[in-house]
Amino acid sequence: MDTNEPTADPLYEQLLRLVQAIEATRKAVLPRSDQELLQSIVDAAARIFGAAAASISLVDEQGQMLEFRVAYGAGNKELVGMRIPIDKGIAGYVALTGQPIAISDVRKDPRFNQDFAKSTGYVPGSILATPLLFEERVIGVMEVLDKISAPSFGLQDMELLGIFARQAALAIHHSQQTQGLSEALVRGLKELALADKSEALAELFSRLAEEQRDQGQTDDLLALAGLIHDISALGEAERKACLDILAVFREYRQRRQRYF
Amino acid sequence: MSDEQLRPAWSEQFTVDALQELTAYGPIAQITPEWAWGGSTGLGIRVAVVDSGLEYDHPALEGCVRGGVGVDFDPVAEDGVRYVEENQPQDMFGHGTACAGIIHSLAPQAELYSVRVLGKKATGRAAQFAGGLRWSVEQGMQVINLSLSTAKEEYYALFHQLADEAYFSNLLLVSAVNNIPTPSYPSLYSSVVSVAAHEGHDPFTYYYNPNPPVEFGAPGIDVEVAWKDKQYLVSTGNSFAAPHISGIAALIRAKHPELTPFQIKTVLWACASNMQRMVD
Repeated sequence: MDTNEPTADPLYEQLLRLVQAIEATRKAVLPRSDQELLQSIVDAAARIFGAAAASISLVDEQGQMLEFRVAYGAGNKELVGMRIPIDKGIAGYVALTGQPIAISDVRKDPRFNQDFAKSTGYVPGSILATPLLFEERVIGVMEVLDKISAPSFGLQDMELLGIFARQAALAIHHSQQTQGLSEALVRGLKELALADKSEALAELFSRLAEEQRDQGQTDDLLALAGLIHDISALGEAERKACLDILAVFREYRQRRQRYF
Repeated sequence: MSDEQLRPAWSEQFTVDALQELTAYGPIAQITPEWAWGGSTGLGIRVAVVDSGLEYDHPALEGCVRGGVGVDFDPVAEDGVRYVEENQPQDMFGHGTACAGIIHSLAPQAELYSVRVLGKKATGRAAQFAGGLRWSVEQGMQVINLSLSTAKEEYYALFHQLADEAYFSNLLLVSAVNNIPTPSYPSLYSSVVSVAAHEGHDPFTYYYNPNPPVEFGAPGIDVEVAWKDKQYLVSTGNSFAAPHISGIAALIRAKHPELTPFQIKTVLWACASNMQRMVD
């Protein structure tokens, strides 16, 4: 918070609590950063699919490169941060076509960029790669490598990883969205608090703080979005923030309902 | 959560437990695989492989590639794409060559054409895709193998139109469904032959699913396929199921050139491995 603000103001105190509550909620629902979120996703993927290694790469803004953001298992340190053209390699194929593929005997696969693999010190025997799709767009690729209990990944692994990847893509998008919005929200609320100290507003904040305390993690975010909607009339930035939050959540819940 | 809940309907229908036995009666029951494609080699049938390109000189293709086109995204061009003729086409990844190898193994005298619809960027793919279909229709292809699909809703109408155009041009469009449970166009249209993978390996064993949208199941699991740079590998995906049906369709078309796409679909239905034919 800005230290220039009057710390003795009760409204300010309330606002501070609110902002802390928002922060707490976000941390409780999602890991602290995108990086942590991605890491927890690949760790989980490797465990679920019995894979010796796993990675997530994301498509850059120009749609021309894939950047490896997180990895689990052998070669993970070397892999993170590497960029490959989207028209090369297995991850590139999946990113371009939006179609998953399972390959065993991968050493024979020329799409699998051998030099690149060797530079990470790890050449896998089997690969299962699936797109991370958000709103019909490929935002990245998740790969699991070397199934421990079998020579190759099967069709069922492919289907399971597809479902897992869809949830992962939603979480990644949601995390990016929430992080950006949370900052905008805090800024907006600070401005709001300084501009208008009416009783109605104070009541709103206290109600908000109360709801934050009493409800479960995910419901907290929904309640927050509903309340933010009430104050959305106060400014365009706030209104947009509210709409975005609601839209993201609505979609998230709908997709979950549809597939589970 | 059980495995059953996680399996998307279209591959579930071709598992051993879920497979339904079907029965054909009357004159239609007289259609047998022997009648449909026995002795056929697919001679002279033009098959377009809309994919990552074809490696024209891959030994698995035995010189059956007759030419092709590269469809590149170009936002200022008409229809958003540029067509570059490729007499000796290459394959970016190997996926198209894999599909072509399967078609060629079933229909050795069919003529294959490379229609490359992938480029160096992730954007514009659906436009390339549509361009590839349009080119195939205009060039008078008789079978199009489409082992790629798009989930983009905005292309629903365009692909629908192109699928109908192909159908009315007497062109059979064989399309793989995506392996992940998301809508995939054009595989979900009734005018195309949609294919998912089943667990078997015999190239001529395929099944009909009486609960569409996905109508046919063909081999697609751990298939040894041809790949870029004259190599081979073992891969899994619905991508490799579609070319099995494309190959059989080429055989049928060569032997029965009078049949329309609608009739070929009926022949495929009658000859499915889960069909019992009750002849009076």
